[in-house]
Amino acid sequence: MIKQGYEFVAGLEMHVQLNTSTKAFCSDNNAFGGDPNTLVSPVSLAHPGTLPVVNLSQIKSAIKLGIALGSHISDQVIFDRKNYFYPDLPKGYQLTQDTLPICIGGSIYLPKTKKSIQIHHIHMEEDAGKLTHDNHDTYSLVDLNRAGVPLLEMVTEPDFRSPDQVFEFIEVMQKLVTFLDISDGNMEEGSIRCDCNVSVRPVGSNTYGERCEIKNINSKRFAKIAVEYEFKRQLKLIAYGEHIKQQTLHFDKQRKITYPLRTKEDAHDYRYFPDPDLPVYHVTNEMVQEIEKSLTELPWKIESRLLERFPLNAVEAQTIAYNSNLTQLFERLAEQITPNLYKTLIDVFFQKLIKLEDYTKPPKEDQLLEFLELVGSKQVNKFHAYEQLFDLMISNPSKSVIQLAQELGILQSDDLDYTGTVVNQVLEQFPQEVQRYRQGQKKLMGFFIGQVMQISKGKVQAQNAQKVLLEILKSD
Amino acid sequence: MNVVQPKYTSLTDLQADLKNQQITCLELAQYYLSRIKSTNHLNIYIQVYEQEVLLEAARQDKIIQAGNFHELGKLYGMFFNHKDVICLKDHPISAGSKILESFESLYSATVIRKILDQDAMLIGRVNCDEFAMGSSNQNSTYGPTRNPHHEDYIPGGSSGASAVSVAVDTCLASLGSDTGGSVRQPASFCGVYGMKPSYGALSRYGLIAYGSSFDQIGFLSHSIEVIEELLKVSKGKDPLDATSIEIDKQESLPNKKYTYGYFSQLDDSHFLDGSIHEAFNQFKNSLVQQGHQVKPVEFSLLDYLVPTYYILTTAEASSNLSRYDGVRYGHRASPADEVLSMYKNSRTEGFGTEVKRRLMMGTYVLSAGYYEAYYNKAQKVRRLLVQALSNLFNQVDYIINPVTPNKPWKIGENLDDPIKVYLSDVLTVYVNLVGLPSLALPWSKDELNLPIGMQITGPRKKDLNLLASCKEMGTLE
Repeated sequence: MIKQGYEFVAGLEMHVQLNTSTKAFCSDNNAFGGDPNTLVSPVSLAHPGTLPVVNLSQIKSAIKLGIALGSHISDQVIFDRKNYFYPDLPKGYQLTQDTLPICIGGSIYLPKTKKSIQIHHIHMEEDAGKLTHDNHDTYSLVDLNRAGVPLLEMVTEPDFRSPDQVFEFIEVMQKLVTFLDISDGNMEEGSIRCDCNVSVRPVGSNTYGERCEIKNINSKRFAKIAVEYEFKRQLKLIAYGEHIKQQTLHFDKQRKITYPLRTKEDAHDYRYFPDPDLPVYHVTNEMVQEIEKSLTELPWKIESRLLERFPLNAVEAQTIAYNSNLTQLFERLAEQITPNLYKTLIDVFFQKLIKLEDYTKPPKEDQLLEFLELVGSKQVNKFHAYEQLFDLMISNPSKSVIQLAQELGILQSDDLDYTGTVVNQVLEQFPQEVQRYRQGQKKLMGFFIGQVMQISKGKVQAQNAQKVLLEILKSD
Repeated sequence: MNVVQPKYTSLTDLQADLKNQQITCLELAQYYLSRIKSTNHLNIYIQVYEQEVLLEAARQDKIIQAGNFHELGKLYGMFFNHKDVICLKDHPISAGSKILESFESLYSATVIRKILDQDAMLIGRVNCDEFAMGSSNQNSTYGPTRNPHHEDYIPGGSSGASAVSVAVDTCLASLGSDTGGSVRQPASFCGVYGMKPSYGALSRYGLIAYGSSFDQIGFLSHSIEVIEELLKVSKGKDPLDATSIEIDKQESLPNKKYTYGYFSQLDDSHFLDGSIHEAFNQFKNSLVQQGHQVKPVEFSLLDYLVPTYYILTTAEASSNLSRYDGVRYGHRASPADEVLSMYKNSRTEGFGTEVKRRLMMGTYVLSAGYYEAYYNKAQKVRRLLVQALSNLFNQVDYIINPVTPNKPWKIGENLDDPIKVYLSDVLTVYVNLVGLPSLALPWSKDELNLPIGMQITGPRKKDLNLLASCKEMGTLE
């Protein structure tokens, strides 16, 4: 995005809450919701004498994401203490990785905006609790259910050149972490949160401008709006001849603006040092290889494979590729049909199958293949097939679909004699319209076809009806 | 009389008497409780679990009378206490600090749990320096504990009351903690045995942290035998402490002759107080007479021990004690208008002078701009020390020295000279910097009747060998 000779530049810090069964350093349940301060223990409350113990699933999740993004995986896991006082931080320090992140480098390609984003690093850390300030006049409430929930923090290079890329990055990462099954990817519940660093620079410049950080955005739409706003705000400042000051900003969802979080930037000294309670954990080659093996084909590879073989659009291909259940179902069905039915399959897949409550338990496959054949060959029209036959098929798994279509009386007829009978019936019923047609009102053809369909209750194929109608009307 | 002939010094003897019905647990409990009452003026116990211990004693007596010994754990009949930094479920714990006033632990420390599982009986909680920071047991919100051999003098610290509680026979053993000598130095000043196991040999889960990479629970008792029993029962890897380890099994070493090394600087008559110098010479002679070899060894890092120790422990402490903020538990200052004042006021009111001093030092050495010069450099020295000690153990079996270079000082003395007190830790802190097992044994007494202890330090994880070889040493009295 370029305006007034200035270019948009952004980098993201994305926090992903992991879906491990327990917290990062103790055995508390890692779950969303729950009454305040019920998912806690002496360890997460930082009671005297308690100690953290590393959750191995957290390390494995981080490695999984690293492998998917092509990062270098560190062979040592070192946790550092980031010291600061805040009521949502029970220990008075956060366990994080300051000196040696678990994953270094890597990249991800954004297909819609056609942009590759480089990953600087991914590190592990623990989440803090939640403060509520609105319930009381004189005090704030502390909920420590979230304290100690394992997080991955992914830091990108400042590679974003448009708000759309920011949007798509979050979208793709959300799908990726869900695909890898390391997070539920639920942004409403805060499972993914972003800090966006925005700066501007003259087009062609190869240094970066002073950046402002918009904190804690939990929606891709808001992220896009916020960085767009911030870009314009900085341009305005420049237009007035002012300097951009490095600052931390908050995004106001209602007013859709950014505003400074702290008036004066107090330089925090976090006094990082390696946590003496957690010995260095050594990541072995075997461990990395095992995780690598457990990873199925990565979604972008599936996506391009699907796009090559099937008449899918980009959104459809991505939807299938980022969900391994859908990928499996789609490819299994596709293997059993001829290519002329691919379009029908895709339509049925997106119109009906993925809208089922539980698409992991789809209709019986032989039924489904029969259904595709009937719709594809137009023996049942699409309307009847989608609105009636599909549901009937699911509730009668033992019956053949053609039999069900017959019972519904929606099986279309190839019988041109039958078609002729119905056409003649219609033409006799509407002599005036026949006359007007012959006088040149050719668009009445649609009306006749409609009537034929109605009388035959859809059993006549529209093409056949048109063919017969044209013949009769011409011959007279 | 403060110091009496101990009723029992050996668990084997004690359990034999219980079996032979020479004594009952209840009688023993009453004896110890009466000792606690008659030594009340020394300010040892913060809390006595009188009712609990009487009930448990009666329960054990019933089982003993029925002859059902298989129902009893290895430590039945043993009465012990715990330092005010080791947590016991549903009981107050305060680390000798106002900041933990009225705090009760929701869980028991792994070590306490393991010992109680073996039917030892916990008789009370004893005083100590606030957050185990101190060498004199004067830095406690409960006031100083006194040396039973001479009440004007300090008992040492930080596990001062632990040592006194054993010396005046209020229990068979005490659980202390040792970050830089806090078990061994008071053991030495009070004339009892005190052991700091290898770092990680005992779980730290439930031990209120001071310097996490130094802290270790230790034992004080009248005999090595009791310490050995406690160590065997409570050692081992704990899933709740990632730094815990398994120590090596004991090798059988009947009548083996050892090489004992000591830092050559100790030959310098200025290094040690006169009577301690003399006692150390007697100790060395006694070892030689027993057929062992004793030799001085070169150790160039002696001057760096105390600074390195204080930089690293205070750095860790400054972070470890951040949790005492008045938000979730413990002392909270009266309502403040904003959260920062709440922190400042609560911590200002809750912590004592020595703790504040160390928190300030620790915060300083970790600060941006000073980290490299202090914390990082100290870590490098620590690595050198590990290497140096490991080299020494290629030349000698054990390292010996007096536990302290100086004698106990008077209560109230040295309060305004912390550096002088820190420097007196020189002969104990290297053990914690390297994570070695080390035993303080009572050796002799000075002209004021104050005890002098000797320290024997072994290679890492060889705790059980160390205890086995020390059993043969005896004392000079």
